[in-house]
Amino acid sequence: MITIVNHHPARSAARTDTQPRFAAGETVDFAIVGAGAAGGVVARELARAGFTVVVLEQGPHLQKEDFHHDELAITALSALTNDPKTQPNTFRSSESDEAQVRPVVQYGRLVGGGSVHFTGNYWRMHEIDFVERSRKGSIEGTGFTDWPITYAELEPYYSKVEWEMGVSGLAGSSPFDPPRSRPYPLPPLPVKPAGVLAERAARKLGWHAFPAPMAILSQPYRGRPPCIQCGFCKTFGCEVGAKSSTLAAMFPDAAATGRCEIRPVSYVRKIELDKRGHVTGVKYFDSGKREMFQRARAVVVCANGAETPRLLLMSRSKLFPDGLANSSGVVGKHLMFNGYAFAGGLFEHRINGYRGMVVTRVIHDLYELDPRLGIAGGGGFDFRFDWGPIGFALEGLPKEAPNWGPEYKGMLRDYYIRSVYVLAHATQLPMPNNSISLDPKLTDAWGLPAIRMTFADHPNDLKLYAYLLDRAIELLDAAGATRRWAYPLERAFPEVHLLGTCRMGNDPATSVVDRFNRTHDIPNLFLVDGSSLVTSGRGQPTMTIQALAFRAAEHAARLARRGELSKRS
Amino acid sequence: MSGVLSAAQRRDLDALTALIIPTDEDAGAREARIVDFIDRGLTSFAGDQRTLFEQGLTDLESRAQRSGGRAFADLDPAAQLALARELDAGKSEFFGAVRVATIAGFLANPEYGGNTGKVGWQLIGFEDRFGWQPPFGDYDREPSPG
Repeated sequence: MITIVNHHPARSAARTDTQPRFAAGETVDFAIVGAGAAGGVVARELARAGFTVVVLEQGPHLQKEDFHHDELAITALSALTNDPKTQPNTFRSSESDEAQVRPVVQYGRLVGGGSVHFTGNYWRMHEIDFVERSRKGSIEGTGFTDWPITYAELEPYYSKVEWEMGVSGLAGSSPFDPPRSRPYPLPPLPVKPAGVLAERAARKLGWHAFPAPMAILSQPYRGRPPCIQCGFCKTFGCEVGAKSSTLAAMFPDAAATGRCEIRPVSYVRKIELDKRGHVTGVKYFDSGKREMFQRARAVVVCANGAETPRLLLMSRSKLFPDGLANSSGVVGKHLMFNGYAFAGGLFEHRINGYRGMVVTRVIHDLYELDPRLGIAGGGGFDFRFDWGPIGFALEGLPKEAPNWGPEYKGMLRDYYIRSVYVLAHATQLPMPNNSISLDPKLTDAWGLPAIRMTFADHPNDLKLYAYLLDRAIELLDAAGATRRWAYPLERAFPEVHLLGTCRMGNDPATSVVDRFNRTHDIPNLFLVDGSSLVTSGRGQPTMTIQALAFRAAEHAARLARRGELSKRS
Repeated sequence: MSGVLSAAQRRDLDALTALIIPTDEDAGAREARIVDFIDRGLTSFAGDQRTLFEQGLTDLESRAQRSGGRAFADLDPAAQLALARELDAGKSEFFGAVRVATIAGFLANPEYGGNTGKVGWQLIGFEDRFGWQPPFGDYDREPSPG
């Protein structure tokens, strides 16, 4: 067990004065499981709509003052994320294999969740992402299907995310952008050297580099200050609150209503049912590993695409022997991440990529591919630099280069300030055999079954990533790289975009939640996070998760007002 | 600086880390005091690696005695390098852990005991200012080069 002596603030109960403290045994309107990108939105919207809310979060409630630039604590020692030492995972590539212990799932484990430590890339999905199956045709061996909603139905909520969270960008700057009802609330952040090179490369190839839409403030907004360009976004928390996490942008509003209690270090292990098959609340471990129960009129699970199906599977009962809300049998299935291809390039002059935010320019020309290629899906590129010094020295140099000794040292000297990386983000097909399930043997430090992942890439996706990798190399060449190198296409676990495991759909036989994120099986149980996604999009799923969260919260509030939470409409 | 390693073990470890990031016109692992970083880490955040390091250093000592009749730190540079290459080629878990720890300590925040005087950051060109404005580098200046 690793403990950090100097850092790692273990603050567990940072409360504002306006937060209520609901007594044990008191029934609240909504219990929300997970205080991440979705949980923060749902908590704020329901509390502002007049309901009492308790948010149960596994991790601590840190404040921006607790965030630092300690790369060792953040990356090597899991300061802000789930710790594989106390919450191990297992992995197998097919159901016939024995799963081996391996850290394959990573998520933000604190109030704010992954939105605290993310890079802040906020791409809307495009129209095609919702209807790709009917437009492009089925693909054998997959569960590829259309969403029950269209882009047009979600558009107002995408705009809501941009304005409520605070997103910087330039409307109309990408010819591939889907229609939008409002401009961005904030102008783009300043372009960095890698962004200038992206523009140069795109011009040469006849493509279009546009200002990256980022959940980072370029100007003061709603009482929060703009980005100071510290350069420590990815995997770090923002010490000024300029990153638009739910910690910075949602939870203060939720607490200010006087109706929302944020209860950190509360690890939910089971959702309880009454005889009618309605949810009555959640059982959880408090900071002393004591078992507690929170009663609620409805439960919203926002625990992420791995923990949400795990919680449903752990909540099996006589009524739901295969897992709660799992009459379809698809809970945990169709696990998706996003696909990636990654290449690096060395340039003659100084990039200084470590100064300031990670991404400033994005290219969406291959969002949809030429059908003659015979490859399903598509992708987007960004030019980036997302390494801290340690990460760069361990992973950032060409794989074929020596990794110790005089030549290695010389490369550290030359490459850190002159390297740029092109990251292709891509679709990944939903497959029924790719799943999250409960490991039959391994348990975590609380005695709960470990997450077992079963996963293998579809051959189409491997073709797609290889194709995008070649284009990434072309982009680096076009930008004028003096040397470029590719990274292997094998997945670099742990994965952070955890999607598809409780998919949304109209048919209760093939999906877990309805078009408003309410479970088909249980009228007062909602699932709102990456698990609802029917397709992966090209990348950067948080924007879509939060658009769904605003929409789901609005719907849940409507049902609650009408007294319809305990019956099917 | 309290640690777990003996003086002899510290000398050997220091010599090994100096092969991973050698001293040239710029400081290397030795000047960054990586041995302090590791020794301290083994009593705190890397406590779970203590046995690996202790056993690895014992093995290194016996290899050095076998091949050169003296401690690893006292072998001539070519013999040290040959032994390190042998460990690396044999995919030694100990050598891998020393490599990662050396690099991590060299570039971690100085309060962990390595990267003394920020020599690691200076080598790679990282300035710990944590707040920047355009132009960030050369390509976002006007006129932009090549």
